[in-house]
Amino acid sequence: MKIKHVALSLALAATGIASAHADRLVIKGSDTLGAKLVPQLAEQFKAQHPGTTFDIAAEGSTTGIAAIIDGTAQIGMSSRRAKTSEVGAAASKGKHMKPTIVAFDGIGVIVNSANPIKGLTKKQVEQIFTGDVTDWSAVGGSGGKISVYTRNTSSGTYSDFKELAMKKRDYAGGSQKMAGNEQIAAEVGKNPNGVGYVGMAYLKAGGTKAMPIDGALPSTKSVQAHSYPYWRPTFYYTNGDPSGLAKDFVDFTVGSGGQRIVAQVGFVPIK
Amino acid sequence: MKKLTLAAAALCVALGGTVARAQDAGALLDLLVKKRLISDQEAEEVRSELVKESASTAAGKWKLSAPITELELYGDVRLRYEYRGGRTPSEHTDNPNDWYERERERYRLRVGLRGTLADDWFFGIRLETSNSSRSTNVTFGADSPGPFSKGDDGIFVGQAYFGYTGFPDFKFTGGRMPQPLITTSMLWDDDINPEGLAEQWKHTFTFDLGGGGGEAVQSYSKEGYSKDGKAVVAHAAEPFKLKLDVFANFAQYVYDDTNPENPIGPRPTTTGNNTGNNQLVPQTDAFMMAWQIGARLTFPSSFYVQLAPTLYNYTGNGDSFNIHFVGGNPALSNTASLATNQTGINSLLVFDLPAEIGWKAWGLPMRIFGEFADNIEGHDRAHAAAELGGFDAHTGQHYAWMIGGALGQLKAKNDWEIRAWYQYAQQYALDPNLVDSDIFDDRVNQKGVAVKVGYMVADAISLNLTYAYSWRINGSLGTGGLGDIQVNPLDQYQIFQADMSVKF
Repeated sequence: MKIKHVALSLALAATGIASAHADRLVIKGSDTLGAKLVPQLAEQFKAQHPGTTFDIAAEGSTTGIAAIIDGTAQIGMSSRRAKTSEVGAAASKGKHMKPTIVAFDGIGVIVNSANPIKGLTKKQVEQIFTGDVTDWSAVGGSGGKISVYTRNTSSGTYSDFKELAMKKRDYAGGSQKMAGNEQIAAEVGKNPNGVGYVGMAYLKAGGTKAMPIDGALPSTKSVQAHSYPYWRPTFYYTNGDPSGLAKDFVDFTVGSGGQRIVAQVGFVPIK
Repeated sequence: MKKLTLAAAALCVALGGTVARAQDAGALLDLLVKKRLISDQEAEEVRSELVKESASTAAGKWKLSAPITELELYGDVRLRYEYRGGRTPSEHTDNPNDWYERERERYRLRVGLRGTLADDWFFGIRLETSNSSRSTNVTFGADSPGPFSKGDDGIFVGQAYFGYTGFPDFKFTGGRMPQPLITTSMLWDDDINPEGLAEQWKHTFTFDLGGGGGEAVQSYSKEGYSKDGKAVVAHAAEPFKLKLDVFANFAQYVYDDTNPENPIGPRPTTTGNNTGNNQLVPQTDAFMMAWQIGARLTFPSSFYVQLAPTLYNYTGNGDSFNIHFVGGNPALSNTASLATNQTGINSLLVFDLPAEIGWKAWGLPMRIFGEFADNIEGHDRAHAAAELGGFDAHTGQHYAWMIGGALGQLKAKNDWEIRAWYQYAQQYALDPNLVDSDIFDDRVNQKGVAVKVGYMVADAISLNLTYAYSWRINGSLGTGGLGDIQVNPLDQYQIFQADMSVKF
């Protein structure tokens, strides 16, 4: 009897420890996902799963992928695909980078509201962000030295934009690197000559306006149809198929409840 | 849908080969998604699997820095047997009609990386055996200390350069580079990688001289028959096109720069001019300038003519080559003759005209090549040598020329080539520091013949046999230059080389 009691106590204690670990979800990575969307998803999830806590750090997609590789996060948020070198590094540590698409996004080009420019072509976007063109008059504006705002190198949006809009060419030498979408939107909103790029959820930031690219603005329809030129999937990366609390959260995100939040925040649902 | 996903994955792998990278299959996956055959998530899972496969292969682990757009690994290894020998003159003061001979087994290694970078830049590096400017060979058994040691098996930087091709028709190169000029072994040893800057321009004009057109007609000619013996339709006659390549190559080579230009204390002096008088050692660097323009006219049926007139001039005195050239003295002992200056670059202003005509006959490439060179300051060079050497000035000894022909070419397995030429180079015609090190042992004041026969055993393996024989032109002068044969004047010389090379 005494032995049974000890065993039961030990089992309960072990369950408690496991529960403590299972109730806490560490999510690291993309600022695009982690600044607004994932915190809102987390709030809704906590309401449905009392006792769950979240530890969310949004310092760029690269940090999210690295966190899966080194085991410091259960979910890595990323607005870009993992590179071959990252997949290789994961494999060498016995990890498998499993991607789950959680939302689509369209990277929008924004300029200051006072900028008279009505739209840009894909070629002009490339020229502006690579520094081939340095004055607004060259692209039909009223003149003024173009101030380019970009994300920093750990950002998935930085890599995606380079690939989608710049043919993998380097950013202009004078471009200013910002930590997140909100910072880019803030700077462009203050600078009449500013131009930058942000995810769809940040296109309505004050003082800025989105530029049609070859006549097309990012929309739910154009992004879901993949016809907008700068559309991209965004991901949760997990080590293999997610399990436990991570699986629950991933399932919630891609389910109807999570996708409603995705649309509310300004991203494009996956269905 | 799962089955379809697997089928798509299998298709991607099959199309991409064993090392199917996700980005190669990306377009296919995008198309399958667009056609709603698979979902975005399924495409992503397939892509992820492909990337994982690629990352596990050797090719997937290879990472190149972002600016590299193209990279090539290349090189060669060569084994050589060589005999070379030289004879002293019959009037030699110490050992008349004596032969100096060397037999050597040698190898060489050259391995390089060259490639292109973003924004029209390019680069190249090559490591080579031997620290000689005119050789990459290492002699087996010449090691110290002890057998098989690595004393002379060092690796040296043979080439390290980069350049820019962003302006149409132009190419700019800086560094230690492969020879950008059109040259032959009469003037330049082909192992030399000059150091400095080069600017190249080339433009191609195409002239359509009409002809061609009309309907194709049935032909019963030998070329027109198919294997089953039926007549086949011959190709319509092609228009007659001429291609003219016009080019200009300029180079500024750093020939001699032994720092410092301004040392602490008084300027050093030297008696290295063999006059016994002290002279200040010049401290200005020496540069070699090359000014080449030319054209190549190509006719249909592979007939071409090429001319590349060039002027070489030297500026500055240099630190190491400033003593006036003497080139040996037959009146002296062999040792003393060798000790006279062999490397001076005084009074060299060389006009060079290499020319070539090529065509194909019975499918066999053929060419005739020739070259003429004149040191316009040869008179001064002769006078300076005479003054320093204490002999009569032979001021007419400033011409060099060669003429030869070749059959075949070495490109692929079972190809062969025979090349033969006659070469004549007077004592004051050329820079003895640059002439070929094998054919006439780095020497001037030599005339003779050379024959090379080559055969491609496989696409990357070649066999070559070379024989050359030369003799002294002017019996009153030495044979200038620093050769392997320790004889000056070199009255008679011959060399035989058997090479086997693998090129990758």
